[in-house]
Amino acid sequence: MKKKPFEKYFILSPYIWLVLFFFIPLAIIFKISISVSEWGMPPYQDIFVNNDGFKINITLENYLYILSDFYYIRSFLNSIVLAFISTFFCILIGFPLAFYIATSDIKLRNILLILVIIPFWSSFLLRVYAWKIILQNNGILNLILLKLGIISEPLQLLYNQYAVIMGIVYTYLPLMILPLYGYLNKFDLNLIDASKDLGLNRIKSFFRVILPLSLPGIIAGSLLVFIPVVGEFIIPEMLGGSDKLYYGKILWEEFFVNRNWPGASALAFTGIIVLVLPIIIFQIIYSKWTVKNEI
Amino acid sequence: MTNKNFLKIENISKSFGKIKVLENINLNISKSEFFGLLGSSGSGKTTLLRILGGFEIPDSGRIYLDGLDITNLEPFERPLNYMFQSYALFPHLNVFNNLAFGIKDHFDKNEISLKVNEISKLLSIENLLNRRIKQLSGGEQQRVALGRCLIKKPKLLLLDEPLAALDKKLRTKTQLELTSLQKQLEITFVFVTHDQEEAMSLSDRMAIMKNGNILECSSPEEIYENPKNTYTANFVGIANIFELKKKNENYFSNELNTQFEISKNELNENFNILLRPEKIKIIKKNNTDTKNLNSVEGTIIEKSYLGSFTRYEVKCNEKIISVIDQNYNDNTNYNFPVGEQVICSWSKESVKILED
Repeated sequence: MKKKPFEKYFILSPYIWLVLFFFIPLAIIFKISISVSEWGMPPYQDIFVNNDGFKINITLENYLYILSDFYYIRSFLNSIVLAFISTFFCILIGFPLAFYIATSDIKLRNILLILVIIPFWSSFLLRVYAWKIILQNNGILNLILLKLGIISEPLQLLYNQYAVIMGIVYTYLPLMILPLYGYLNKFDLNLIDASKDLGLNRIKSFFRVILPLSLPGIIAGSLLVFIPVVGEFIIPEMLGGSDKLYYGKILWEEFFVNRNWPGASALAFTGIIVLVLPIIIFQIIYSKWTVKNEI
Repeated sequence: MTNKNFLKIENISKSFGKIKVLENINLNISKSEFFGLLGSSGSGKTTLLRILGGFEIPDSGRIYLDGLDITNLEPFERPLNYMFQSYALFPHLNVFNNLAFGIKDHFDKNEISLKVNEISKLLSIENLLNRRIKQLSGGEQQRVALGRCLIKKPKLLLLDEPLAALDKKLRTKTQLELTSLQKQLEITFVFVTHDQEEAMSLSDRMAIMKNGNILECSSPEEIYENPKNTYTANFVGIANIFELKKKNENYFSNELNTQFEISKNELNENFNILLRPEKIKIIKKNNTDTKNLNSVEGTIIEKSYLGSFTRYEVKCNEKIISVIDQNYNDNTNYNFPVGEQVICSWSKESVKILED
């Protein structure tokens, strides 16, 4: 079928968006990451120098610096571990919720979905800050526990990695629930009855029927949670302590505190490669697998 | 039959909120019987089947299968299987693994593949074992769904609208296969349908359900030929129903303005009778004919020629009656035009008295 010109350009628009707001910024970051740093504004030298004849002025020093210092690698690994733990808890809490929403009747379902979405309408910063108020030493939670006599002195709930995990799970949970709901909504509940009829108890039925069939939803939700959590800056900054350093935070420090733009760019670019490449490979394999299995 | 109370349904009632779906259902189904539950939607037939499968728990009453009280057993504890209307095949597994699904935990690999091969031969799906469910046609999916149940050798197989998802030609073929399979395996089948032809062709016995009650339970022949009430008569097959009044030992229909003979003495003053369309003989009216008992004059107002028979709608007095005329070789009458004046007649044995 021949496409009308309008349709052709309409299809092009996401690509234009991608080029303008993804590839060009990425190219700029890459360019800065191979520049030589210096004091000044901007704090790096041009990569094309043209005073005593044309010269390309690039360096790999920024990358070597990051890879040689374990400080950077460790904070990156911390972020990966944090992202894994947070994603795991999001699945653990999100799956039953999404399943319950998807199987409840239409009226209740819409109310529950709105409840999941409502937090998006308020400021992200405010919501994280609210947790600070709840968890601090003279905060609501400690006050209640003290009043009930469960504890005799306030607990240190804030400024540690547990507060960070809690904050992330709280913030990112809707991103897990919504795609999962999308898949579970299409789920034929007769399949559960059928598996029981064929002799499977609830636990076996979950692992052999419900889980494999909702795997695409779990993966979609996990990617939505995992990727941004690795670079998450605000939540560790507000709820976290000095016990763990995370990738987002050192990136910020490198850029704004040390004013080391080439170093920060190299860090950012390495992060993208290390994180995105395996995910892309995984997605390609996975989509081939789903096409083959027609899930 | 050897075991008359193989499946015993005792006083089963079920309500969803304020709506009574089943009211005090009692049924006894014999071993190796092919039993049909026929009813329109909302009659409670599917709820009854789901209660047998263990997916719904009745409010009261008990169910015994082969002497075992299964009323409160979980679906996975019941020695029976359920074939879903949508088939509910597992889309993430191929045909082999769908068939093996219910026996995987009980046998080793060799036994499983032996059993799968055996059942797939029986259902002639042995060349589909590596296929995905979405690559199967409706008829193939139906066989896999059936095989997945039969491989477990259940004492009872429940089938929810087993042929509803198939197209018409395939349905007739599958009907025959299903009955011969059932006779061969000697498994008790209980199925639900809203299609009276399907119920009649499959069932050894069938129950007609309406508003959560069983109106009648008998063989298809008995229900078609001698239905007890008007609803059943209308639901199964085409029915001409007339109201008769007693007038000095004679029975008279005001609608047809004719007198009826009936085979037994009826005590009621007013009652309904049934006359099936194929029991009515239709001939061209000659002016010389005198008016007889058990016959009525009329005009053909509608005609549908259906090959092996022709269906006429004949207006007699103020009532329209349906007549089915077989196209015999020697039948020169089979092609009456619309508007033809005809005489419809019947024997007194064809007149069936309805109880309500």
